[in-house]
Order: sequence, then C-alpha cells, then structure tokens
Amino acid sequence: MADSFTLPLRPLLDERDRPDTLPAEIAQINNQWGSFRDVNEDVLRTKIAEEYRDDLDEDEGDQSASDLDSTERLEQLYKRRKDIIDFATQAHMEAMFAVDFVSLLLSKNTPRQAETSMSAFLKQIAPLGSLNAEVVNPPPKPDSTTKDISAVSRGWRIQNFNGAANKLLQAASRLENEVASETRYWNEVLTVKEKGWKVSRLPRERQALGVQYGFLEATPVFRDRGLASLRRAENGSLILDKGLIPPKARFVRVRVMQDGQLAGRSKPTSPTNDEQTIESRILQARDTLYEEELFHELVREARATANYGVTTRQNLIRIPASDNLEILLDLVDVDENDLQSDQDISQEGTRIAEGLSHTIRILLAYAHRQNLHRRTLLPLPLTPKKRSVPEHQLFRPALAYIQHMSHVLWLQSFLKDIFGVLHSAALDIPAYTKHVFSTRIAQTSSAPTAEAVVERFLTPFESTFSGKLLTPRGSFSIAIHTNLSSPSFGTSFDVSCNMPNYPDIKSPGRLSLREEVQAAITHLLLLDVVFTTSSNSLPPSKPEKDTQENRVWEAVYPQHGELVLSSSNPERHRKIKLALSRHELSLQTYTVRCIDGTGRGKWEQPSQTPKQYTWGTPSASTHSLMAVVSEASS
Amino acid sequence: MHEVLLFASVPVHQHHELLQQLAGLTAMQPRHCLERRLIFKAYRKPGLVAGRTGASQDIQSGDLQRLNKMLNGSMYYTQVVGPVSEKDFGSATDSDTQMDGTDETPEAPRYDYERQPWKLEFRDIPEAGTRSAVTSRQMSSSTLPSGDIMPTMSAWGYSFVTEHVVEGDLFIHNDITLFLQRVLHYPAGQEPSQPRQQMPALKDMTPLEKSGSYVLQASITVQDGSNQETMKTASQHLFGLREQLKSAVRLEQADRLSLDTRAK
Repeated sequence: MADSFTLPLRPLLDERDRPDTLPAEIAQINNQWGSFRDVNEDVLRTKIAEEYRDDLDEDEGDQSASDLDSTERLEQLYKRRKDIIDFATQAHMEAMFAVDFVSLLLSKNTPRQAETSMSAFLKQIAPLGSLNAEVVNPPPKPDSTTKDISAVSRGWRIQNFNGAANKLLQAASRLENEVASETRYWNEVLTVKEKGWKVSRLPRERQALGVQYGFLEATPVFRDRGLASLRRAENGSLILDKGLIPPKARFVRVRVMQDGQLAGRSKPTSPTNDEQTIESRILQARDTLYEEELFHELVREARATANYGVTTRQNLIRIPASDNLEILLDLVDVDENDLQSDQDISQEGTRIAEGLSHTIRILLAYAHRQNLHRRTLLPLPLTPKKRSVPEHQLFRPALAYIQHMSHVLWLQSFLKDIFGVLHSAALDIPAYTKHVFSTRIAQTSSAPTAEAVVERFLTPFESTFSGKLLTPRGSFSIAIHTNLSSPSFGTSFDVSCNMPNYPDIKSPGRLSLREEVQAAITHLLLLDVVFTTSSNSLPPSKPEKDTQENRVWEAVYPQHGELVLSSSNPERHRKIKLALSRHELSLQTYTVRCIDGTGRGKWEQPSQTPKQYTWGTPSASTHSLMAVVSEASS
Repeated sequence: MHEVLLFASVPVHQHHELLQQLAGLTAMQPRHCLERRLIFKAYRKPGLVAGRTGASQDIQSGDLQRLNKMLNGSMYYTQVVGPVSEKDFGSATDSDTQMDGTDETPEAPRYDYERQPWKLEFRDIPEAGTRSAVTSRQMSSSTLPSGDIMPTMSAWGYSFVTEHVVEGDLFIHNDITLFLQRVLHYPAGQEPSQPRQQMPALKDMTPLEKSGSYVLQASITVQDGSNQETMKTASQHLFGLREQLKSAVRLEQADRLSLDTRAK
C-alpha cells in the first residue's frame, strides 16, 4: 500500500545553484580591474609594490598615533568603549522591543507560546491579544506577476488533482476486484454450506474458515483429519487446503485371485469426475479419508486375524478365503486401476470383489455407529489401565460368509452325488431339505432397521440340511456353523442321525473336517441301504415266509455292508457285500461255504467268482438294487 | 469408588442455550432422564449397638472391632434411584377415579410400581482438606430388586424419609458425565410414609428452586480413589472442561457441608 502511494506530499527539492561560471567571473574582473589587455608583468609588480607600501604607511600611522598623549588616549578609549556599550544597549533595547512587539502581535493567535517570549513589563501593561495585524490595501501587483502566480498555482493544482484522481481510481478498481473476489469466495462458501457441509472456524487459525467433512465417530487420527480450511485464491475461487495430505483420490481395491490368477477386482467407489467443483473436491477428500481409515482398520484386523493365515505387507493384505480363493486388499490411487488389462476377469470373481468391497464399507459405517453408541454410554470408572479399542469386524464376516457358502456348496454337491448314486440304484430316498443361513434373529433388538440388518450379518452363520432315510422313522440332519468373530473360530459340522433300527449308533456330533463329514454321511447311508435291503428283499418268497424263516437277508455286518442269506445247506450260504462311496454303489454276490455264513475274510471261502454290480458310474448296471438282490437270492 | 465433581448453577433462561452448547461440545443428543429418588435414613437398631465389655475383652477379635466400629460409626442418608419415563406420570388420577367405580379397569394404570427397577446410591460427605479445587467423595452404587423396596430397606435398617423426582438431560464427554438437572417436588399434600405407588402428572410437579433453574453437574468416577495419579487425571479432565465451558457457565467446587449425607 505504502509504496504505491505517490501523492506529492513532500516539496520538490530545488536544484542547487551552480558555482559562478567562468564568463561571469571574467566580467567581474573586467569591471573591477579593467580590461585584461593592459595587464602585464610590470603593472602587476607595481601594483604589488603599491600594496606593500600602503601597508607600510599604515604601520607608520600607528606609530604616529602612539605618539599622542597617554591621557588623551585613555579618554579616547573610554569614549569609544562608551560608544560601543551605548550602541549595544541600543541594539538590545531595539531587539527587546521587537520581541515584545512580535510577541504581542502573536499573542492574538497563539497566546500560550507568545507569552513565554514577552517581557514581564509588557505582560503587566498590555493584555494578551490586544494587538492585531491586518493587511490593509496591499499595493497592487503588476498584472504580469498576478498572471504568473495564478498560472503556476493552477498548474500545480491541476497536476495534484490528476495525481490524486489516478490514485483514487486505482484504489477503486483494486477495491472492486477485492469485492468481486470476496463476493465469489463467500458465495462459494455459502454454496458449500447450503449443500449441508459443516462450515466453521478453524480451531488453530481463528480467522480462517474450515469445512468439516470427516466422520465424527472415526478413529481419532482420522476424525481430526476431517477438517480442511477453505482458502481464497487470487481470483476469489475457493481452495480446499488439506495441509500436507496429498490431494490424490485413493480407494481400497479388492482383488480376487482364483488359483493364483486374477479373477476379479472392485472398481473405485466414486467415479472420478474431471469437473473440479469445490463440492466434488470435498466429496473426494471425504471419500479418500474414509478409504484410508478403512484400510487402517483392515490392517488392524488383519494383524489380529493372523491365525487364519492373513498376511500383511506394507500396503497389501492377503486373505486366504476358501479352497482356491484368495483375496487381496490394497490402497491404491483411483487412476492406477485402469492400467491393468481386463483379461482373465470372470463375472463371478468381479461379483465377489464388488460384494466384498461394499461389505467392508458398510461394516465400517456400522462400526462408526457402534462407536457413537459406545461413546454415549455412561463411562466406566477411570482406571490407570488404558482400554484398548477392539478391532472392528470388517472382512471377517465376509470371510465367514465365503467360507460358509463354500462349505454349504460342497455339502450340497456331495449330497447330490451320493443321492444320485442311490437313485440310480432305484432306491427311493426322499429329498432332503436345506435352510441356508437359518440363523434365528432376535427381534427384540431396538436398533434401527439399518443396524438390525447389519447385525444379522455379524452373527455366526448357520445352515441346516435335514432329510429322511429309507428306513422308516430314520432321519439325519447336518448343521453347519461358521463363526470368525469369537471362539471357537472356524466352521463346524454338527451331524446327527436318528436310526431306530440301530439303537447303538450314536450321532457323530461335532465334526470339523469335510472328510470326516463325508465319511460319516456315507456310513450312515450305507447302514440305511443295508437295512433296506435286509427288510425289503424277497418279495417272491413272501408266501413261504411263514414256513421258512431263513429266506431273509440278514445284515450280519451292517458296518461293512455284508448280508447273508442263510441256506439249509451250509455250503450254499449266499452273501452280498455292499460298498457305498460318493460316486458309486457296488454290490458283490457270492456263495460262502462256512458253517453259518458269518465268517469274514478267509473264513468266508468264496465258492466262485463273485458277481459284481455297480451303480453311479458310466458302466452302471441297468437293474435296480432290489432286482439284483432278488436275483441273487433265488 | 470415588467421584470427582464440579457444579454450576444454570438459570432457566440459559437452559435451552446451554443444552445446545453441550450437544455441540459432546457431539451427541441430550438424553432426557427422569428419576424417582427416595431418601432413606439409617437408624440404629436397638440391641445391636452394645459392644461387649468386661471379661470378653480378651476375645474381642479384629473382626468384631471392625463390626462395632461400623455399627457405632456415623449413619448416613442414602438414596434409592429408580428411572422412570414420561409415560409413567399422570396415571394416578385416572386410575384413582376408575378404581373407585369398577375394580376391573379396561385401561390399566401404566405405571407399574411392582416392576420399578431400583438402584441404591451411597454418597459420602466430600473429602475435607483437599487442596484440589474439585469436590471429591466416596461413592457406591448397586442394583436392588425391583418392585416394592420398603421391606428390603427396612430389613437393612433404613427408614423412608421422603422422595422427589429429578429431571434433566445427560451428556457424555469422554470420561465426564454431564448432568443438567433440577429437582421436582410432588404436589403439596400430606407426606406419605412410604414411596408412592402412583405418579402425579408431570406438570403438577413443582421445581424445588422456585425460578426453575437447573444445576449442571460434571462428574468422573474413579475406580481407585487412593491412586493419586488417576485422581489427578480426573481433576485435570474436569479443569479442561471448565476452561472449555468458561464462556457459558462457571463450574466450581460445591460447598462441602451442603453435600453432607450424615444422619445426625
């Protein structure tokens, strides 16, 4: 401001008079001494000699004066001295009069100052301000002078007016610019405010405005970062000043790897719009903040779940989800995603990735709500111990879901296979029923709907399969529980069965390996088939049943699938050996030659090459199991 | 447990503004609370007081000494606090009139005294001679059985004195509980000798302070009062809050004797 101010406040400095020029000096010499023409050495010498003589003459005069009488000289001295004193007194008096006069004159205008220079006598005699001076009829100035003066003053005035006008115009235009940019700034601030953002003063920088876009319930580090100042650019547009945080948009990318191959990945949550309005920048800042917090929490959770084989690198979380599925989480710039090729991306992989990416974001929002809930509870008593904040459940529920689904699908395909085998042998086993995600929901929770929906997702998953067996009143049920948030972790299968014909068979109970489950179910079905075979066989010999008890296939070793048709001839016992696996049901018939047919292994002494039937394989028998059994018994 | 406290008086015209300020400070909505508070006074049961003298002195064990000290020590007023809701008020008049007519009322009284949960709150007299500028006192709360509390309390040697209602709004700010409250009296009438079974209408209740002003109570509970470090931390937190609220209210230490709970 100061440097641009050029009003002529100071008088212009006059240029200093230059020393006399040479011509002026020559003219002066000419006037004083005459022309240079007559000057020669003789003249100058005589002149010097004359001057010397004059000095001598004066000395002689002094000499003569000293000859005067001493009394006369003294008298003369006194007289001179008196003259000097009189003269000085006179001068002093005159000066004092002048001072008094001027003081009296000035006392009209500045009495205080004038009073100090007044003599005491004058102060007594004359009251202050009793004398005034006015110009009375000034002598007329010549016209030319008046004209000159008016012209000069007019010129000065015009010049100054011009200067002042320029300054004012400059200031005005500057002010106009300022007003325009301020207006723009405040309009944009208002727009931001009207959109619903919280605009406030910055806590540390009281005169700056800030906008709050962060989440109040986030981890303190991220909560405090949710405030950026709104600065004004030169032209008044709004700048979102986030300090040291890089302005790039980032997001948590979910990639799904199937058998080591990239099978799908999630897209950025918010589309990058090139239109850089302040609104979009705030939104982007908010989203990036959310993503960063999300990743922070994911890493925390990943560390806590290292026992599942979750590994973390600096910027990568690797989660083995199920079978051959692996999930990678990392925090990347929004534009980095486009660089990679889209090949090998399967529809399903993308679906999983997108689903997972939505899940973790919804769960973080849910965790925020839980934080609010926890924060507004009555605080616990203060203790020296610091309470640790538990990790949020972000990917664990999703992981549990994937694992659970994987197990359910496996069980479903297993049951389909083995039921298919039984059906192909014309065994009419009733279809099983399944309830996937049959978790009971407590309706008592008073949480809002949104939270209640998420709460359902956080409870341990449970799916049940149940069905009836061939045996009357026989049934089985399998419940799959998956729980990754509290002990006991992982998935367990609860297999139970009800077989009234084998009262000593107990339900296998809680199993955790698929192989065990498979074995248990297969065994159960084998027993079922054996019992069905022994009870249902031999319809043609039904009339003779009353007379001949032995015409019944007896399940001698149901655990091994062995049945015996006893015969009166000890050499002609018939035996069936059933074997059931996931893919086939096989049956062997042969004759044994031991006493009651109950011997096993080498005691059986098979008489002839056994007949072999299989179902469920490409080379399957076309007869039904019952037909084969009846054929064997005849 | 200990609690450290600061109090401020809030005139009624400032109440709404302060509610908004506190909501902003704590970033939460006020939680409206209504509490029935029954005041009980401990009395000395005859026969229990007499300590053994004479020949039994040699067998007076430490335990017995402690018991004697407890029984002969000072007696306290305690209060029994039961949360109620706005719905519970005002059912008394309805039910009374209906009770007179028919015993079977289609509209049952909404306030169920038999299901009222209770909490016993003991507060000691604030500690004397602390140099800190906060009120600190020993406190303890425990849950009591729901319903009629009189038999339980009289069995423990407490007699019912009076009851009142506290209404207010609760805020939580980190460790600090902020309770902006005022005491309401029941409508004038004869003072019953036991807790009321029915509640009068809320609008008939009169504030204890005639102008209707409120008290802001900021408190932190501390698990171990003998730990100087935590007590200091708690005080520091309260002082921090006092600074923050300086322009709104003046939080200060309460007069020790006005919080005296000892029964004379």
